[in-house]
Amino acid sequence: MTKRARGSLRWRVLLVLALAAIVPTIVVGVLAISRARHDVEDEVQRGALAHIRALGAALDGTLQDARRTVELAASQWADAAGDAKSTQLLARRLRRDVPIVEQLSILDPDGHLVYGDPVPAGVDIGSHSFGGYIGDAVFERGNPAIHMVVQARGRTGELMGVFVATLDLAFVHDVIAAARLGPGAEVLVVDGVGMPVASSNPTLAPGSRAGDPVVERALASTVEGTLSQAGWVSAYRNLSSYQSLRGVRWAIIHRQPEAEAYALARRTTRDTIVIGAAALALALALGAFFATRLTRPLEDLARRADAIAAGQIPDEPPVEGPGEIGTLAHSVDEMAKRIAERAELASALARGDRLASVGVMSAQVAHEINNPLTTVLGYAKLLLEDKPEGHPDRNALELIADEAERMKKIIGSLLEYARAPRPSEPAIGTGAAAGSSQPAQVLRHVAALVAPQLKKARATLATEVTADRPIAIEPSALQQVLVNLVQNAAQAFTAGGAIAMSAKPAPGGIATVITVSDDGPGIPVGARTKVFDPFYTTKAPGTGTGLGLAVCKHLVATAGGTIEVGDGPNGRGVEFRVVIPNIA
Amino acid sequence: MRLPLLCLALACCGGEPRAERPIKFLHTFNPRETELFNTTIAERGLHVDASLVPFARGHQVIEELLRGGHNCPDLIRIDATWLPGLVASKLIIEPPAELALGWAAIAKDLAVVDSKMWALPQSIDGLVVVRLAGTPAPATPAVADLVAAAKASELPHPLGVRVDGYWFVPWLRGEGVDLAPAALDERAVHALRDFAALFGGLAATPPAAGSEAPDELRRWTGHELAYWVTGPWQLADLRDRDQIEVSALAHAPRGGQLLVVPACAAQPSEGWRLAKELTSEQVSLIFSDAFATVPTLAAAQAHATPLVQRMLAALGSAEPLPRTVVTPLLFDDLNPAVAAVVAGDATPEEAIAGVQRGWHRLVSR
Repeated sequence: MTKRARGSLRWRVLLVLALAAIVPTIVVGVLAISRARHDVEDEVQRGALAHIRALGAALDGTLQDARRTVELAASQWADAAGDAKSTQLLARRLRRDVPIVEQLSILDPDGHLVYGDPVPAGVDIGSHSFGGYIGDAVFERGNPAIHMVVQARGRTGELMGVFVATLDLAFVHDVIAAARLGPGAEVLVVDGVGMPVASSNPTLAPGSRAGDPVVERALASTVEGTLSQAGWVSAYRNLSSYQSLRGVRWAIIHRQPEAEAYALARRTTRDTIVIGAAALALALALGAFFATRLTRPLEDLARRADAIAAGQIPDEPPVEGPGEIGTLAHSVDEMAKRIAERAELASALARGDRLASVGVMSAQVAHEINNPLTTVLGYAKLLLEDKPEGHPDRNALELIADEAERMKKIIGSLLEYARAPRPSEPAIGTGAAAGSSQPAQVLRHVAALVAPQLKKARATLATEVTADRPIAIEPSALQQVLVNLVQNAAQAFTAGGAIAMSAKPAPGGIATVITVSDDGPGIPVGARTKVFDPFYTTKAPGTGTGLGLAVCKHLVATAGGTIEVGDGPNGRGVEFRVVIPNIA
Repeated sequence: MRLPLLCLALACCGGEPRAERPIKFLHTFNPRETELFNTTIAERGLHVDASLVPFARGHQVIEELLRGGHNCPDLIRIDATWLPGLVASKLIIEPPAELALGWAAIAKDLAVVDSKMWALPQSIDGLVVVRLAGTPAPATPAVADLVAAAKASELPHPLGVRVDGYWFVPWLRGEGVDLAPAALDERAVHALRDFAALFGGLAATPPAAGSEAPDELRRWTGHELAYWVTGPWQLADLRDRDQIEVSALAHAPRGGQLLVVPACAAQPSEGWRLAKELTSEQVSLIFSDAFATVPTLAAAQAHATPLVQRMLAALGSAEPLPRTVVTPLLFDDLNPAVAAVVAGDATPEEAIAGVQRGWHRLVSR
């Protein structure tokens, strides 16, 4: 792209429109994407936390029920101080009411077994724990389990025994398995050292998860939180916050691959980009279209102004445009017209001055030369009358007389050019008002006048008259103009030719257009601006005065008309076009 | 060439090298304290792997952990009553001598067993009497004067006391009986009768077990309490701290939280470094400002808030619990006995007899 193209109005308008479209689109798009991503992230994290809260609450509810039931049973047993039978009955009821009780031991205050299975190794029967606790997870029988220790205190608060219940944690897995997880999501429950208690992932490798950043964060946290790391979104909750689990260092973790968790955000991002790009492309296309429409009249106007500045009259029709552009185009055309008028006026003034000078000079020359020339011509003719045929001086005298006649004709032309318009002559003014002509009559009369000359030049003359309204020019003046034009055409032929003369109404009916055209050699374009100047001639020296067309233009202009020269029909020859206002 | 050499020299010889491994820290902070701890540690650039052990099972879990020696922490936050047991079991080590300086006397006393300092004291707590400014102070710290002041109040239940063995200690000691298995006699019965008689009269009927703390807070906020027997741990939630006056309660138990380094610690020096940071004037004042905990360094106490200063003054006349291995276990029997009497399920005589049997069994075991 050239520098000029880049600096063009269209390019700049396009640039502005592009910026106006791109910047808001990008800003809004980035904001929308960022906001959507942020909202989705928040929603995902809130959803994950809500999920594990619900799972934790379900886990807590089960353990809470178990603890209360065991505590109640222990309290009943302590107050009853029952025998073996009632103890067995109580134990059976307890196992029925709390199905997750896998194993039950009842000890006396000194730690001796009263009922049930032997106490698993490592179980503290209540010291240091304010009377009872739920222990860490154990994995002795495949399934994870926990030991619940409840001190059985009697009515007075005295320690009567200890209940040790081993709770099967398979229900934790069931709770998790029943959970509806998102794509790729998994839930993991770990104990205080990171050992998995339950997982929704059946392929989870056994062993401690200590060292896993999420697990460590969960075990160290106060309540709950989230973590995005290594392509996973994790939410965790420390289960020690639950009432029944106080003393139990468990954590529940929900994690999901970011690609799955934020799929909605990704889709939103993609859709936003696609829609944004489409909107941007549409905006740019529309912008380009409207920029072109907007700037085309201006470019045309600029070209028109350039042509006007170069002194040319543009051939194209005037520029049309909406609003200010139309006004500007109209103003430019008006300005061009004024400039042309002013130039024409200046030219006319210059020519007018020159012609005025010629007129004055012609009058003086005619006045000074005409009388002596008349004398010369008179004496030449007298001497000729005295000389018989064959006299040796007769040829010279005839030459003197002829040249004197030619000089008188030139002087006559000069006087004709300089003098004011003459009243119309009755011979060709019949039927017309004074100062007006009937084009048909004048053209017919001219044809008759020039017939001998045309015959001599082997030229034909065709006339066509469709104009029927009188025109504002003296018949003699129009006749002189047309005779001059027809004679010029005939003289231009070297081997004959065709001349056409027509009179037609001008468009609008306010004038009549009279044309005289031929198929001769024509006038060079460069000479056409000078043909109406006085003393300009293209004829051989001594054969033309250079005043004929100048007189024609003078006569036509005096009548308020115009005369122009152009190419002849079919681009051959020349055509003179005379426009004379009609009589209103 | 010079720059890499300089860097190498600095790396080899410069300053104290940072621990490659995180400092393993086992603590009993509550959730809000844990949050502040995590923030404070992160701001100081310490690489700490902290694990929470719930206070209710802290003693048991810590002893099991240290006895097992597996996954041993470098530093542990414990209740002061657990210290004699850990010392007797030789599960912890003494701090470096240079860390024994600068402590307030009552703070250092918490960390001493058998005339040796075994821990860095992190905070001091105990029971005091809290009242709003304008409420007349009890005539003396004696329990009888507290009861007399409460009786003078027009509120229906002006006294805030919890059904708990720890709260019963001032009444028990007021009768001249200490917290020891051999000491329970008629005086203990009398003390328990007096204590239980408070509830439903000067003190409101106790709420459900486990909801004592929020119930007390609600009643204080609702201006239903004129005299609240409580500790620093509950003042963190109060918004009208500037309006709070603190009075001493005679024979009230005084305790605190300690930082100990286990004998099995892989990085004992790092453990002490973290303990020093947590008990520093700056960090302890952060905790003090946030939770009204009483700092342990004398310099930190001097810059504590007026409320904490008043708390410290009140705790100055409190008495530490007996420094024995069984002290924390005594409450396992005492708490349900007190509750049984208050609930009317047992007479004071029955309850004290049961406690007596339990304590004897404990000692014999």
